[in-house]
Parts: sequence; C-alpha cells; structure tokens
Amino acid sequence: MKKKHTMGNRQGTFLAITIPVLLLFFCFNTLPLLKGFFYSFTNFKGYGSYDMVGLRNYIDLFSDSRVGHSYLFTFKYAIVSTIIVNVISLILALGLNSKIKAKSALRAIYFIPNILGGLVVGYIFSFFFTYILPALGQAAGIEWLSSSMLSNEKTAWMAIVVVGCWQSIAMNTIIYISGLQTVPEDVYEAGAIDGASGWVRFKSLTFPLIIPFFTINMVLCMKNFLMVFDQIMALTKGGPSQSTESISYLIYQNGMSGGQFGFQSANAVIFFVVIVAISVFQMTVLNKKEEQL
Amino acid sequence: MKKCMKVTTAAGLLATAGLAAALSGCGAGDDDGKVTIEIVQYKPEAATYFDTVEEKFNSTHDDIQLIIDSPNDAMTILKTRFIREDYPDIIGIGGDINYSNFLDSDLLMDISDYEGLDSIKQTYLDIDKELEFVPKDGVYAVPYMANAAGILYNRDIFEEHGWTIPTTWDELNALCQEIQDAGLQPFYFGFKDVWTCLAPWNAISVDLAPSDLCAQVNRGETTFADNYREVAEKTRALLQYAQEDPFAYSYNDACTAFARGEAVMYPIGSYAVPQIQQVNPDINIDSFVMPASNNAEDNILNSGNDLQFSVMANCEHKEEAYEVLNFLLEDENVQDYINDQNAVPCKQGDFELAPMLDGMKSYIEEGKVADYQDHHYPSEMSVDAMIQTYLLDNSENATDTFLERFDTEWVRYNRDLIRKVQDYMKEHPDAE
Repeated sequence: MKKKHTMGNRQGTFLAITIPVLLLFFCFNTLPLLKGFFYSFTNFKGYGSYDMVGLRNYIDLFSDSRVGHSYLFTFKYAIVSTIIVNVISLILALGLNSKIKAKSALRAIYFIPNILGGLVVGYIFSFFFTYILPALGQAAGIEWLSSSMLSNEKTAWMAIVVVGCWQSIAMNTIIYISGLQTVPEDVYEAGAIDGASGWVRFKSLTFPLIIPFFTINMVLCMKNFLMVFDQIMALTKGGPSQSTESISYLIYQNGMSGGQFGFQSANAVIFFVVIVAISVFQMTVLNKKEEQL
Repeated sequence: MKKCMKVTTAAGLLATAGLAAALSGCGAGDDDGKVTIEIVQYKPEAATYFDTVEEKFNSTHDDIQLIIDSPNDAMTILKTRFIREDYPDIIGIGGDINYSNFLDSDLLMDISDYEGLDSIKQTYLDIDKELEFVPKDGVYAVPYMANAAGILYNRDIFEEHGWTIPTTWDELNALCQEIQDAGLQPFYFGFKDVWTCLAPWNAISVDLAPSDLCAQVNRGETTFADNYREVAEKTRALLQYAQEDPFAYSYNDACTAFARGEAVMYPIGSYAVPQIQQVNPDINIDSFVMPASNNAEDNILNSGNDLQFSVMANCEHKEEAYEVLNFLLEDENVQDYINDQNAVPCKQGDFELAPMLDGMKSYIEEGKVADYQDHHYPSEMSVDAMIQTYLLDNSENATDTFLERFDTEWVRYNRDLIRKVQDYMKEHPDAE
C-alpha cells in the first residue's frame, strides 16, 4: 500500500514536469502548425478577410517556377554543404582527438564559429567577399575572383556554402570528437596486433564504431542546411537574379513581408513533409549500418 | 466561396490571450481616465523626431497619453500584430501596396469628416485615391510627407566643371559622356540591395508610362509589354555610366561612395540624403528630376506619399485620434519634420524646403508629380529582383524575356485582384 502511494507520488512528479512542457509545446508548436495547415487552404494575406480556395495553393506550388527554383537551390546547397561539413569535421575531429599539444585550446578555437550569430558572421563575410577577396583576386590575377563572388549568379551559391560550412563544422566536429572518445582503446590494440594502421584502421575500426554519430550528424546537417536562412539574409538577400532564394527565405519573404501568407503556408506544409521524409529515410538507411560492440 | 473572418479555435484564444493582454494596443484606457493613443510608424530614421513630438504632445495634453513606436521593419511587425488582431490606433505608413492591401482588407477607418484634410494638397490625396484597388467612398489616410526621387548630384563638382542640370534624355547622356571624359564616375549603384534597382526604374517610368498603368492592366486594357519597353531599355542604358560590377555593392556602399565624391550623381530618392550626410556632413547635394523623355515637358517628378497616417477601423477613440493628427499637422511640427528628414510636406503652406531639393522645387510647387509605379506592384512579386535579373541578363532578347515575364507574373500574383476589379466593372459598367 505504502509502495503504491510513493509510486503515485513519483508519477505525479513526472506528470507535473511533463504536462506544462507538453502544453507549451502544443501551444507554440503544434497549434501554429495546425493553423498554418488551415491557412494553406486560403488566400489569407496575413491580415484582414480571406476566402477559402481549396487546393489552389497546392496546385500553384507545383507550377510556380520561383518555388521550384528555390527547392533546386536549397537541395543543391544542402547536399554539397552536408558532404563538405562531414568530411572536414571528421578530419578535424580525428586531428583534435589525437595526442597533440594544446588540444583543449585548439578545440575551443575551432568551436568559436558556432557561438557567433549567423547574421554577424554573414555580414563579416559579405564584406570579405565584396572588398577583400576581389582585391586579392586582382592582385593574384585570377579572373573569376577579381569581381565579387556574391554578384555573380554562378558563384554566389558557393560563397553561401563557404559561410554555412565554416559555421557548422564546429558543432559537427564536437559531435565527432565525442564519438571518437567512445571507441575503446583495446579495439585499437587488438587491431594493431592484426596489423591494422592508418587508413585501414580508420575504415574498418574507427568509422564503423562511430556510425551512430555519423547518422546524427548527417541528419542534423541536412536538416539545418535545408532550412538555410541567416546566411542568405546577410549575404545575398536571394540575389543576384533570385539565384539564391532558399525555401525558408522565400516563405519568410513572401509570406510575411509579401502578402502570400496562405500560399507560403502551403509551401511550408510541403517543406515540412519533405524534411520529415528525408530525415526518416536517412535514419533508416544509416541505422542499418550501425555496428554494436 | 465562403467569406469568413478569422477563425480562432478556443485553444488558440487561450494561447494568445496572455500575449494579447501584454501587448494590447487599441485605446486601452488608463486608470486615471486618460485615453491612450498608440501610433506605430514605419520610418525608423525619423524616430528621434517622433520621440520629441511624443514628449511635446504629452506635456501639453492632460487627457491623452500618446505613444509613438518607430520600430525597425515596422511593416513586418504590423502585419504580425494584425495576424494576432492586435491593432494600434493610428498607423503611419507609406502610400504603397501595403496601404492598398490594408484598405482592401477593411482595416482602416473612413476619416472624410476629419477637418485637417482640407489643408492637404489635392495631388497627394489623389495619389491615395489611385492606390485603391477598386474605387471606395471616403478618405482613409492623411498624407503627411512626400519624398522626391530623381538624381542626386554633387553640386560642388558640377559647379567646378560648369555642368548644368540636364532636362532631356539626350542631355543626360551627353552630360554622362562629359563626366566620363573628365575622368570621373557619373553614377554609382548599389544594386546588390535589389530594392535600389527600383529607384531609377520608378523615376524613368513616371516620365514614360501612364500613372494608372497598373489599374489599366488590371482592367485588361493594355499590357506592360506595350508600355515598359522604353523604361526597361533606358534603365539598362544607365548601366554604361555606372561603376564596374554595380551588383556587387549594397545601398550603403553606394551612399558612401557618393558621399566621398567617388561618383558625381546617384539616381535615388531624397530619403538617401541623411545616410549620405552621415558619411560626409559637408557634402553639397542637390537633385534634379530624371529626364527620361526627350521632350522636357513630359518629364515629371517622381514623388509619392512617404508617410501618411491612417486611423484603424476599430479604434475606439476617434476624437482623440483626430486631436493627435491635428497636433502632427501643426505648422511647427511639419517644419521640424522637413528639417529633420529633407522631406516634402503634403500640407499646403509656406514651408522652407531643404536645399537638396532646389533642383526640384518648381515641380513640387506646380504639383507636377506622379507616384512611384512600384507602389502598385505586389511586394511578393519582387519586381525589384526581376529588374536586377533583367539588368544582369546580357542576352540579346533580354528585354523581351523581361517584359513577357512581367506580364505573366503580374497575372499570376494579382489573380484575386484582377477578378475583383473585373467583378467591380461588371457591377459598375459606367465607371471608367
């Protein structure tokens, strides 16, 4: 009897912790989502009166070249950035996890980009791309660098990739470092007896054991890069020639400042579905590859 | 099709109630019987002026408490507040597409009984009329200040070389040639910020295209392709006198370059002057009307309602709101605003204009002005980005591509509006 009472107490505590959070989550996350879903069937401008328009917004989405272009750009950006970030941060993590001098200081330095705000970094890089890089390019006589990368449709997206990667490598490196620390030393000792070293050691021992971290990094990276916004805002504002309009930027720009609240809500709903689908796909594919010791 | 006002679920009400209570705007009366009037105005650069006005007003009025907000990006803030159905009493916005949309959504109050309207110049009231999607009865805004856009020039450099203000397109080209021959830079553009692409575009289009072009297109009477070809070509023609790679530089960069005398002229509105003076307080600036036509008589000043006040439809304290408007329209306060912002007053009277408007003065006095064409463009259509795309497109048929795109996108983004206009015309066959 007494035991049951304490159990009830414990459960009460858990509920007391969970329910307010659940309510907050519902009010500020689920509810707006549902309302957005509702608005996606209207021609709501964001204020005033509106009409129900059925599936018109969804049909328009698939024939809108601007939306189509923003999806192409965002995916190109996300895939390229995800690959670059994971390769570089894995290399960095291997380096920072080895026995080197000033390891903690170096780790701290490599982490700094992550604590700077996206917009601040964007504006600094914007100055760099507009004034410093062209000057360097001219001095070195490299033609494609002697004008601003941001004013050229063909190079602007690469500039955004550079800034995006520079910032996200920090977090991913930390995750990889923590992954590397879970690999027990005796696995390497056993491997050494079998003659594994260098690349073989990484390929057959280290990497399979940190696959869970690889999975989480791939999913987080892809999701973050698909929602790219700050960098676009600070670097190009979607230009030049609308070549760098990401999906989030378009939703914000036309949904909030422009009068397309309903239409962009539909866009957001589709985008949400796409991100969930990609994340689930990544998890299932990569989970199968995970090894357990 | 079912017309419905905002549908709010019970849960939604609960969730927003807290926020609404904290941020509640319209006419919340104070305990001491004072009526609070809240203004949100969209010009952060005039924030200091409005702070002074707020203080002055509150020290002379015991019964009304005036609050003036001048946030950055006020339009987004206003729209977000409107989504929550949280309205200020008065909004100070520009006479642009947002005004048309707010009016069309029945958010604004008819203030035709406001006496202060008699003192406003008719031209600016007419500009507001043209901003109505379908003609409405009544008056919904008090035009307060106008701006003027054309070409700013460095008066000192002009005087030094004995150059004069061009009045036709050919003269402008000849002048640019002369400036280049003198080893100077005629124009400096900040086209990285896409909206600045609209500055020369607007100034050229008021000269060459009818002022009610968008309304004509909505009524199905003409197309943009028929009217904008020359505008597009002449906007592009300005590029030959610009600095190298104008798309790499932002509005700030361009203002700074002009302030430092790196360029002789800058096609932008008078609103850029404070920013330029921040870099170089001693610069001697004047401006002239964009001479896009070769017939000097056809050239008109590009001037629109830069700041106008509208009372929100559900404001409960109309009398007090009018009292605030009266105060803002007092000659002294109008003159203060002009001095502070180099603006053009919409009120009749003998005001002293800023020296950088000297070259445009005769146009302002004669009322030879026309509104910005982009005030009629829906912002989500991003005409500014379309112009940037066009200017960056070096293929031979760039103009055709651009004009074709303009017409198709216009129909796509204005579908509901065009239907509304055509319904209106069916109901009122005798309207123009």
